[in-house]
Amino acid sequence: MKAQSKLYFYIMLSTVLLLFLAVWSLNTGVYDFGDKSAFEVLWKVIRGDSDLSLSDKYIVWEVRASRIVMAIIIGSMLSVSGTSLQGLFRNPLATGDLIGLTAGATLMAAITIVLGGHFREYLPEVVQFSLVGIAAFTGSLLAMLLVYKISTSGGKTNVVMMLLTGVAISAIGFSITGFLIYISKDEQLRDLTFWNMGSLAAATWTKNIILAVILTVSYFILLPKGKALNAMMLGERDAQHLGINVEKLKKQIVIIVSLMVGSCVAFSGTIGFVGLIVPYILRLLFKSNYNFILPLSAILGSVLLLTADTVSRSVVEPSELPIGILTAMMGAPIFIAILLKFKKSV
Amino acid sequence: MKKFILAASVLMAVYSCQKEVQKPTENKTEVSSETPKSNNKIVTLNGGITEIVAALGHEKEIVATDVTSTYPESLKTTAENLGHVRSITIEPIMAVSPTLILGSDKDINPELMEKIKASGIKTETFKQEYTVEGTKKLIADVAKAIGNTDYQKLNDKIDADLKQIQPIAKKPKVLFIYARGNMMMVAGKNTPMAALINLAGGENAVNDFEDFKPLTPEAVVKANPDVLFFFSSGLQSSGGNEGALKMPGVSQTNAGKNKKIIAMDGGLVSGFGPRLGEAAVSLNKLLVESTK
Repeated sequence: MKAQSKLYFYIMLSTVLLLFLAVWSLNTGVYDFGDKSAFEVLWKVIRGDSDLSLSDKYIVWEVRASRIVMAIIIGSMLSVSGTSLQGLFRNPLATGDLIGLTAGATLMAAITIVLGGHFREYLPEVVQFSLVGIAAFTGSLLAMLLVYKISTSGGKTNVVMMLLTGVAISAIGFSITGFLIYISKDEQLRDLTFWNMGSLAAATWTKNIILAVILTVSYFILLPKGKALNAMMLGERDAQHLGINVEKLKKQIVIIVSLMVGSCVAFSGTIGFVGLIVPYILRLLFKSNYNFILPLSAILGSVLLLTADTVSRSVVEPSELPIGILTAMMGAPIFIAILLKFKKSV
Repeated sequence: MKKFILAASVLMAVYSCQKEVQKPTENKTEVSSETPKSNNKIVTLNGGITEIVAALGHEKEIVATDVTSTYPESLKTTAENLGHVRSITIEPIMAVSPTLILGSDKDINPELMEKIKASGIKTETFKQEYTVEGTKKLIADVAKAIGNTDYQKLNDKIDADLKQIQPIAKKPKVLFIYARGNMMMVAGKNTPMAALINLAGGENAVNDFEDFKPLTPEAVVKANPDVLFFFSSGLQSSGGNEGALKMPGVSQTNAGKNKKIIAMDGGLVSGFGPRLGEAAVSLNKLLVESTK
């Protein structure tokens, strides 16, 4: 029971930190509200004040608030997906990247960016705008299905096979993407580059609602899995003896993770490092107790990505730094610092 | 305890970032109070279109541009540079509170276009064709968009300039190399460079592909150009004439053997705006000299 109240304390603490960050983020940006602060504008938007200028409203609500929410959701999902995969594979390096999900998503996105010109005009306008996103999601799902098919025989999934298949799929995905880069035009090449470095600039409330639904469904199934993942650390056979349905657990985690990674890549491009760094830090702090690190990674992932995004849109004003660069830049020093600090105890 | 130290250090880092971030915003307000009083506040997202707006006498109405809008140079001080059009986001555009956004349909990516549409700012996108007729049409279209019908003089100037082009008896084969340090691409068919080379009395050296392709030694030797053509900035970034002559395959070509290397300002070459005639005449002069 004591551990439980400790967990609630940390959850509270990190939620307060997240709220503080959201407030800071809302007030950060190149747009100038004149004598009003961003909060006053937001308050007016919420109250439906009519004397508000359309631009002010648009910036606060459609641009900044929607982007903050997207950073929170995507950061959280990337982080939880990393934590779950690492628990499942008992490997601190397992992320969506490693089992080929990101490669699949990137490949499909690249195909759409480079070859989309040939069929884009025949599609309805709503689909045209989100074509790359839809393609990325499909790519991630296809990669997952392929990995799962190859590594499963007789209803049992071989984890080593799964990781190796992931490596192979990544190799195929990136080589075809490489070919597409070779044949792409100048502006397509730039789109591909920016896509590969990730961005939350395209955030809208519609996308946030879709992401929020995916998040809710996924967390409803994933977050109570802490105990099962703790048991998995003892090895699959021992976990089985402890009454865990290992095959079902594997299936659930892999499907949900590919759903989460696919939708994240679909809306924001590839943002690396979040799924690796957050669980790693948490594991160093709380050992591998998934009862703790699974719910906490959901919040700290948001903290990391929201910080990164806010910095990304304010350091090189009026332009923007791709967020993937920042997640790596911010994550790596913390990573090293903690490694050094815990060098002796690890 | 360690956890608290970590949490505290994160908080402090966030705090210090916040202070840094606020400074530029304060500066911005001063700049925006100096912007000229006029009906339009225009954001142009294409070098050629920027030139047309400026040439029509509306330079002071341009409040922000993209990175390719390098001419007229005075814009550097009067308009905000938003960076490369493929990485521009909506907030910096809105920050200059424009009344009109002008861009080419090829430049603006779908995500930004979606945001621009949602913002409700009046936006016009134009199709840019790399021909004399296409340029004249673009000038007419842009003029219409900004409410200025007095554009004929710009088109007349293009015609007048083009008349100065001297015919070159033996058309030199010109290879355009887009160089940025180690990355090199050559211009094929349907590129602004190929179009300008043809206008200026030369012949584009590679016609078996469209757009740009990475430069390979074999392709250079096969194309065997008489002249190598660079952007001034590109030539500089790859080590000037010396550097160009050392590029793989170049020494085997006529251009390499005779050291015929020319360079022009990138904005002038690729703009296809009101200075099209000027650009063609400059290139024509360089080609005439190099064929002597």
